[in-house]
Amino acid sequence: MQEIWSSINWAVIAPLIVIQGILLIIALIDLAKTAQTNGPKWLWFLIIVFINIIGPILYFLFGRRQG
Amino acid sequence: MQWSALFKKEMLENWRNKKWLWFPLVMILIAIMDPISNYYLPQIIKSVGGLPEGAVLELPEFTPVEAIMMSLGQLSSLGVLIIVLISMGSIASEKKSGVIELILVKPVSYANYITAKWASLFVLIWTALFLSLVCSWYYINILFGSFSLLQLIQVTFFYGIWLTLVITISIFYNSLFHTPGLVAFLSAGTVIAMSVLTKVFHHILTWSPNKISEYIHTMLLTGEIPSELIATSSVTAGCIGLLLFFSTIIIQKKELGSR
Repeated sequence: MQEIWSSINWAVIAPLIVIQGILLIIALIDLAKTAQTNGPKWLWFLIIVFINIIGPILYFLFGRRQG
Repeated sequence: MQWSALFKKEMLENWRNKKWLWFPLVMILIAIMDPISNYYLPQIIKSVGGLPEGAVLELPEFTPVEAIMMSLGQLSSLGVLIIVLISMGSIASEKKSGVIELILVKPVSYANYITAKWASLFVLIWTALFLSLVCSWYYINILFGSFSLLQLIQVTFFYGIWLTLVITISIFYNSLFHTPGLVAFLSAGTVIAMSVLTKVFHHILTWSPNKISEYIHTMLLTGEIPSELIATSSVTAGCIGLLLFFSTIIIQKKELGSR
């Protein structure tokens, strides 16, 4: 395991993690600010935090109230 | 004057609903996913294990051109899906909520209304496409080998025309229906149907818009722009113009009829 850990080129992987983190933070800020979402808010919170990458995208596409 | 006011309103709205923040990031992720995972595939297989003792796995070495085609492949599937989903409500949801009545009750021309909507999506998608391909280009230069900036710009330009057709199809269905889900379903269905038709009748439909990425591949391999690519792009641009024209007429008929 140690060996695999050190064999990863972090310059390559780090941007991926950063982008994913930014998406997660934007989604959470938006969730905190909006009064209403499609469906319960706590459920969207769980989706954003626990589903990797796809969670925030799902929230932006389907969770926000249009208009 | 009127057009720029409408356009600014659309841009502001896309900024407020955070499309300008998350959409480019998602496109970047989609574009760089495949080149990176393919590069690390041998290590992933090794660490997952399960291979019998002494098994030798021959994995192909990818060239930079193959790597950029991987990015385009992902953008053509996941990217198109997300584009369809972000554009599904652009007019349809305004019809549903009645906002369209508030806007069109003023002396706003229908053509301005449609093209302002379209242009705001156009700017968003081209920006996101360019950023995502620049990131992909960065990784390809690190992992696979050199790939010139000029080629990257050519790829962005021709592929952008294809994505523009996708948003135009979505705008067209937006003018017809007022359920965002139906718009998304029909737009995605149309894109899939077009690609199936192009595959079946590939010898007749040589200028089908779905062939753009195939010709981009040829362009990258030969190093010059094939005439088919120019013809296909012109056909695609023509389709975009026609669809916008029909959307304007449809929305004019429908909205005048409903009042």
